[in-house]
Amino acid sequence: MELLLQFVTSGILLGGVYALVALGWVLIYKCSGVLNLAMGELTLIGAYVCLQLYTWFVPVLGITFGFIIALLGTLITGFVLGVLTEHFFLRKMIGEPILAVIMVTVGISFFFRGIVFSIWGTDIRVFNPAVFDITPYSLGNLVISQVNLWAFFAAMILLVIFVAFFKYTRWGLSMQACADDEMAALSLGVSAKFVYAIAWAIAFMAAGVGGTFLGNINGLNIQVSHLGLLVLPAVVLGGLNSIPGAIVGGIVIGLLQNLADGYISQFTPGGVKEVAPFIFMVIFLLFKPFGFWGWERIERV
Amino acid sequence: METTDSILKINNIEVRYHEVILVLKGVSIEVPHGGIVALLGANGAGKSTTLKAISGLLKHEDGEVTDGSIEFMDERIDKLDAESIAKRGIFQIIEGRRVFEHLTVEENLKVGAHLRGNGKQLKNRLEMVYHYFSRLKEKRNEIAGFVSGGEQQMTVIGRALMAQPKLMLLDEPSMGLAPFLIKEIFDIITTLNKSEAIPLLLVEQNAKLALNVAPYAYVMENGRIVLDDTADKLQENPDIKDFYLGMTDLGGRKSFRDVKHYKRRKRWLT
Repeated sequence: MELLLQFVTSGILLGGVYALVALGWVLIYKCSGVLNLAMGELTLIGAYVCLQLYTWFVPVLGITFGFIIALLGTLITGFVLGVLTEHFFLRKMIGEPILAVIMVTVGISFFFRGIVFSIWGTDIRVFNPAVFDITPYSLGNLVISQVNLWAFFAAMILLVIFVAFFKYTRWGLSMQACADDEMAALSLGVSAKFVYAIAWAIAFMAAGVGGTFLGNINGLNIQVSHLGLLVLPAVVLGGLNSIPGAIVGGIVIGLLQNLADGYISQFTPGGVKEVAPFIFMVIFLLFKPFGFWGWERIERV
Repeated sequence: METTDSILKINNIEVRYHEVILVLKGVSIEVPHGGIVALLGANGAGKSTTLKAISGLLKHEDGEVTDGSIEFMDERIDKLDAESIAKRGIFQIIEGRRVFEHLTVEENLKVGAHLRGNGKQLKNRLEMVYHYFSRLKEKRNEIAGFVSGGEQQMTVIGRALMAQPKLMLLDEPSMGLAPFLIKEIFDIITTLNKSEAIPLLLVEQNAKLALNVAPYAYVMENGRIVLDDTADKLQENPDIKDFYLGMTDLGGRKSFRDVKHYKRRKRWLT
């Protein structure tokens, strides 16, 4: 029982980070109908940018402030990169067949991967000095590592900010409108280009922060970009275009991974942790092809 | 019509899709300040394309105004994109009740005010829309995809109203609605035109309806304007009676048995 509780807690905490990356994915899909296959590389580049800023700022500002400033810097860089990516790679593709646009995102993924390799190499890098204390918090018999807890908090804060942005701001509302019916949104003077740019910017920011924390947990190398593929089940689970769906989906995937790792992997040669979410996704899709909150077409009777 | 008091002037435009398909072949239309002008015609005559050419939405369907000019308040707008045209105050209500299905009615209206910012003004405009469409107030928190067809049409018109339009382009507001709803919506449209002084360019297939509210109308066929006159005169025109109002020369209803379109050549085509 205690073991189960332990798995569940750490699963949920890890899921928070997945949720953040899943949000970025959902956003781009929701606004432009594009499956962004470069999501993993967005996390990768965000994580490396943060690492770089951290190594620059730590000697000057100390660990805590250095990290906070590095994180803010990552958000800003993410925003700029998102807008630039949209402007140079995707703007010309507006109105082209969706498959072509998806292939462009594959191109983008290799592009950023190449950039990361050429600047930072392929060795595993760690945040040095470590940002979070390695001694875990303990709650009775429950052990919670500090990194995971803070990653979860940071993810939740960002999620709340993004969700509030959609619900309560003019641009957030217009983005949802654009996702619903682009032509009608255009007729009201909503700039589709601007909406796409914001969507990419937010995706980059969310992915960057997600990547940073993952890098803090496991160390940073190309492995982090697998996160991009891993959030696919999370996104599908929640329904491709639902923001709350992405959050719940992310947490479920985190949970699933940890449970599979804890209970099943001892009977297998390994790798269950990576495969479990996908197996679950396939079975789940058989029963609910739109995910939990995906948009089924509204048909009035 | 006098040219001096027109808010919108379309001079002999040609529209092409994909750079080859010629859809409009010389269309000229004028809308006076505060007036209602109807644009009549059958399916595929080019009515919607004309509206999209004005609002700039054409460019998002790979269409282009290749000749002629469109002037709005004495400025050329035919090369501008949809966003800048909307900023100048032209709002098109696309045909087919295109509400944002997953937003509530009120959120739909708020998106309409996208270019007008937030704050107190937004509240006032919402109140104004609810004043004209009292039904929307009851449904304000319902998901727009699930309200009735008439309410969706009201939402869409109300949404454009939120944007403080200087010219509204209405594309078939009567499509697929019950007759009493059509009457209600047309009543509101005429009231809006009078009390808010919003000029309207109204596209309709239902000629009788359109000629009742619009004092002046154009008739389109195959991408051309074939006729334009005051509504009174059009209603007397034997061709219009025959082809658009479904009446015989005697003014009574016509039996379908007697219709022999293939024998009868439209006078304006000769």
